[in-house]
Amino acid sequence: MSRRLAVDIGGTFTDLVALDESTGALDLGKTLTTPGNFADGVLDAIAQGNVDLADVSQFVHGTTVVINALTERTGCRVALVTTRGFRDVLEIQRANRTDMYNLLYRKPTPFVPRALRFEVRERVTWKGEVLEPLSEEDVLEVATACQRSDVEAIAVCFLHAYAHVEHEARAKRLLEEACPGIPVSASHELTREWREYERTNTTVLNAYVRPVADAYLASLAEQLEARGLRGSMLTMQSNGGTSSFGRSRRLPIHLVESGPVGGIIGAAAVARQAGLENCIAFDMGGTTAKVSVIESGEVAIRTDYHLERSQTWAGYPLRIPVVDIVEVGAGGGSIAWLDEGGGLHVGPRSAGASPGPACYGRGGTLPTVTDANLLAGRLDADYFLAGRMTLNGESARRAVASLGERVGLGEDDAAMGILRLVNANMQAALERVTVERGHDPRDFALVAYGGAGGLHASSLARQLHVGTILIPAAPGQFSAWGMLLTDLRQDFVRTRVTPCNPATWEHVRSEIGDLTSEALRSFAEERVVVERAWAQQYVDLRYAGQEHAVLTPILEDDDLDRLLERFHALHERAYAFRLADPVEVVNYHVAAWGTVRKPSLREVDAGSTSLSAARKKDRRVQYEGLGWVSARVFERDRIPVDRAIEGPAVIEEPASTTVVLPGQTVRRDRFGNLILVEEATP
Amino acid sequence: MTARSVDLFTVEVIKRALVSAAEQMFVALGRTAKSSVIYEVLDYGCAVVDRAGRMVAQANGIPPFIGVLTDAVRDVLAKFRGRIRPGDVFMTNDPYMGGATHQNDVVLVAPVFFNGELVLFAASKAHWNDVGGKDPGSWSPSATDIYQEGIQFPVVRLVSAGEEVEDIVEMVARNVRAPELTLGDMRAQAASLHVAARRVAELCGKFGVEAVLEAIEISIDQGRRHALAELRSLPHGVYEAEEFIDDDGLGGDPVPVHVRVTLSDDEFVVDFTGTGKTCAGPINCPLSVLISTVKFAYQSVLSPHAAPNEGFFAPLRIVVPEDTVFNPKRPAPISTYWESDAYSGDVIWRALAAALPDRIPAGHFLSVCGTTVSGISDETGEWFFSVEPNAGGWGAAAGKDGESALVCTNDGETYILSAEVAETRYPLLVEQFALHAADAGHGARRGGLGIVKDYRIRNSRASVTASFGRHLYPPWGFAGGHDGSTNGVEVYYPDGRIDRRGRLSGEVMPAGTLVRFITGTGGGYGDPMTRPPEAVRADVENGYVSREAADCVYGVVLAGDPLALAVDARATERRRAKGNPAGSEGSPTASKENPKASKAKPRVPKATP
Repeated sequence: MSRRLAVDIGGTFTDLVALDESTGALDLGKTLTTPGNFADGVLDAIAQGNVDLADVSQFVHGTTVVINALTERTGCRVALVTTRGFRDVLEIQRANRTDMYNLLYRKPTPFVPRALRFEVRERVTWKGEVLEPLSEEDVLEVATACQRSDVEAIAVCFLHAYAHVEHEARAKRLLEEACPGIPVSASHELTREWREYERTNTTVLNAYVRPVADAYLASLAEQLEARGLRGSMLTMQSNGGTSSFGRSRRLPIHLVESGPVGGIIGAAAVARQAGLENCIAFDMGGTTAKVSVIESGEVAIRTDYHLERSQTWAGYPLRIPVVDIVEVGAGGGSIAWLDEGGGLHVGPRSAGASPGPACYGRGGTLPTVTDANLLAGRLDADYFLAGRMTLNGESARRAVASLGERVGLGEDDAAMGILRLVNANMQAALERVTVERGHDPRDFALVAYGGAGGLHASSLARQLHVGTILIPAAPGQFSAWGMLLTDLRQDFVRTRVTPCNPATWEHVRSEIGDLTSEALRSFAEERVVVERAWAQQYVDLRYAGQEHAVLTPILEDDDLDRLLERFHALHERAYAFRLADPVEVVNYHVAAWGTVRKPSLREVDAGSTSLSAARKKDRRVQYEGLGWVSARVFERDRIPVDRAIEGPAVIEEPASTTVVLPGQTVRRDRFGNLILVEEATP
Repeated sequence: MTARSVDLFTVEVIKRALVSAAEQMFVALGRTAKSSVIYEVLDYGCAVVDRAGRMVAQANGIPPFIGVLTDAVRDVLAKFRGRIRPGDVFMTNDPYMGGATHQNDVVLVAPVFFNGELVLFAASKAHWNDVGGKDPGSWSPSATDIYQEGIQFPVVRLVSAGEEVEDIVEMVARNVRAPELTLGDMRAQAASLHVAARRVAELCGKFGVEAVLEAIEISIDQGRRHALAELRSLPHGVYEAEEFIDDDGLGGDPVPVHVRVTLSDDEFVVDFTGTGKTCAGPINCPLSVLISTVKFAYQSVLSPHAAPNEGFFAPLRIVVPEDTVFNPKRPAPISTYWESDAYSGDVIWRALAAALPDRIPAGHFLSVCGTTVSGISDETGEWFFSVEPNAGGWGAAAGKDGESALVCTNDGETYILSAEVAETRYPLLVEQFALHAADAGHGARRGGLGIVKDYRIRNSRASVTASFGRHLYPPWGFAGGHDGSTNGVEVYYPDGRIDRRGRLSGEVMPAGTLVRFITGTGGGYGDPMTRPPEAVRADVENGYVSREAADCVYGVVLAGDPLALAVDARATERRRAKGNPAGSEGSPTASKENPKASKAKPRVPKATP
């Protein structure tokens, strides 16, 4: 039992990383994702990776099964049960018109049609007092209706259930008894924050994906066990922690962003190891780029995630903790195009894997970012995917030149133009997670991964005045690698609006204390071995009368003054002012962690003794503002550790390429990371 | 165009940076403002304007601020040209000058200099909680002149070369009810201008002033070309429509709103001749607001996602006679302008809808349906004050049913209040918050539903103000679609008295009173007898349409019990073959002409010249 295994299912590829705990050796695998039956893809990857499951002590799984069921609308037929007078909350939503100049705006269609939304008599107040007891008769009538309507899952969400769970719990039990085989999700199991629409929608979406996720995880577990797996089986959750298969089968909505989170955890880990406490994780793949901020080693979590939200669509809110990720339609396959007014754009449309960029030679004729990278000398046509695929420079040239002609530019300028434009789009995303949230990008390093991360990181860092870039080893499988470092995490959030002052301080402490005990007890139910269970405590604080609340950590030896001072400081950073007004708690929030033993990272071989051994043929590369420049090209794994290379340079490896600009210096550290540095410009 | 010194990719990079300058100014102000009306209701807008007063880029929280800040910059230029220095900030809120909406919406303008040269302006407009006047909060549904609506700032210098002008600041502080809050917002607003200024300066440093200015010219030209291309694809002709605003704001007569829209190859002319006179009540709409609402209507018809720069609006020409509700005469009150300005857009859409049924939906509930519930809490002894807009039904278009429960055109990324939050903050019990299936808005495409919301007062007394326009005149249907239903408020007093009205002004209600807010269903599109029977069946199953209406209005005969309805295809065919039963006996919604119904009079489009 000495191996740990992570398998991450992505849109195109299923990635595998196996780590030998005693030697630190890593095995990597990549197979095509099998959309019809994801479990097959997982088993394929394991088979190809020559992993003996009997050796595996811990299996971590990142899966798109939940997000796919949601975006493809292939979940089940759900009924909703609400407090009388509130069944339409799911359809009224918040009534905002996100696409405000569009008269034909379509708001999100609820996942439960009105005919399957039922009301029962019951009512509690925001303080949790019962105004009207639950009508069990009404619940049983609903149960009958559900059975007659071929409902496959039931969601229950009552008004103010965050303050009073008994009615919901009782209704759930009655429905389960009356409708055997139909899973029932109650809002208090998922979130105990106020705002009825958000909570109702969260419960409904959990119910919607539950049968799919349950069947998938159950069958995967069975097959893994049949092949000898005895170790613990964990899923990667959107909150930046793992959870047991058992819990995820009941509460699958926590897997909604299961995939990208691994990379962010990995970014935090490599950055910490390199002595960089603040970093921006930047993951650029074929269709999108994702960015997330890590401050003081902590991944940023928000509870206002929205499924499918865009600048022109409200999307569906999920009140669960999700790592704060901003995504933009910018990737290697993003297509450059001209609008009818003569404006140029890159993305969000992507050529995808098929037909793919023009240079793939699979019939694509539209110019993409990858084509531009090839024409600008950043990619080597003969060394794409370590030479497994040859890029067709002629097709790329034709595609880019035809766009160039229409705007009066030669192919060189057009190629650079495409790169500058896609960088401008990504810069906007990076500014959204930094500048617009009160961070100065200069205080951060950039951790770049994904197939295209290294091609663009150097230009982005320069635009944002970021001084250090880290490109981890195996950037193509980085998300799966990050999963190996992830601890178990469960979040417990309760809305309970309470003043926060000397008179109430003891009460606030006991509220958070009770919640913490409850949180720590939860691991016992999971049947997962943790080395150490511990809790992080937070309160959402705000000035009385204001709406904005600031998530403020409570530290072990805090007294009221220290807590309030921390809140004032955080508030000032986020909103640029502090007030002398009374402060109140809105939510109590505990993150319970179950620490798993971390593998120690193996140091890499020193590489060659001299740079020249790592050197490949120089090539001409186009740089913004400089034109064509002769750049040195290196094979990443052969670069001697800690030997500085000055740009212009290109560092190649099988699944990725890193561009170094003139003025930047790069070295390979003893863990195999590339570290790019640029002296601050005033 | 002559030879360019910047290539089109550079133009794009500069364009994005300028848009992002406006957006970052927007985020910075939202982040630093102290008043929830700014950071929560998003009642503010930010823009980058060039030195000729032309719109370059903007970021708005609500549609009526589109394109409005250019006039303020032009006023600054008119008054201070030659005396504008780095570090200056100018302030205006005079609704009878350019750029202002009502006195609460204060505009600040800062010049952006680079190497001593004036390059651009950063401007923003934000709703200040209070600017004095007769009522707390300043805007007032019962104002009879502008002096009751708050202090007026003609274009004044608020910051001079980086130093606040103390006299002005003191004057502001003395004339508002909560100076600390107001000055806090004012300084946040001034500071946010510098966020944009910094971005613009950075851009000039990187590309040079000339390239930035040239990129702006090109982008304005692209906007114009885009608009002209769209305009050429529209059916040219002259289109007219008329509507009525319920009353003049003080309970007087309905106010006519008349428009004549002329579409040609290179112009989109909107002429409001025939619109009613300046009103006695504060529903008058200052010219700047009118222009901006018309710009919104124009953009929504032409290209909702186009970058709204000066060039894009170039083909638009607006004619509006003086001394009318859309171009009132000083000192008429204007502080609840939203009660009339929405009609200027609505009547344009109404005029054009029949010609553009796949771009324009039928009429929607139109009014903000704003409510205020206030009082002194029995429990805490403190004031409570809840102000919120309401959601209502939108109209159907050729390609879609109307949306249910969306905010009106005057609101954008505006969120309605959660019942759980409302009950926590205010002594109210929300007894229902549901869709309201009025028997209206029928059509081949159905109007969306409004809402019904019941507030039970759980305090010894509370005061309720509500302003529900479209209480008399329902949203319009077209092409055979039925009109929607009206908005209104019903009050059920504990003593059994019931009151139904469109407007309540500070009505005091005892504990146990139930106030019911109802918003209208949107208008329908097309003959209801042609709606697919399966869609009607689903409507009935979901309770959007009654079984009677399915039968009488849609001619769809359903069989089976309510949980398993089925279309009786043969009976439906027979029923529909008999023709439209609308107006026949027994029809719950015979499309009887509302005696007061407004009318669209689309003329036969003229052949393209």
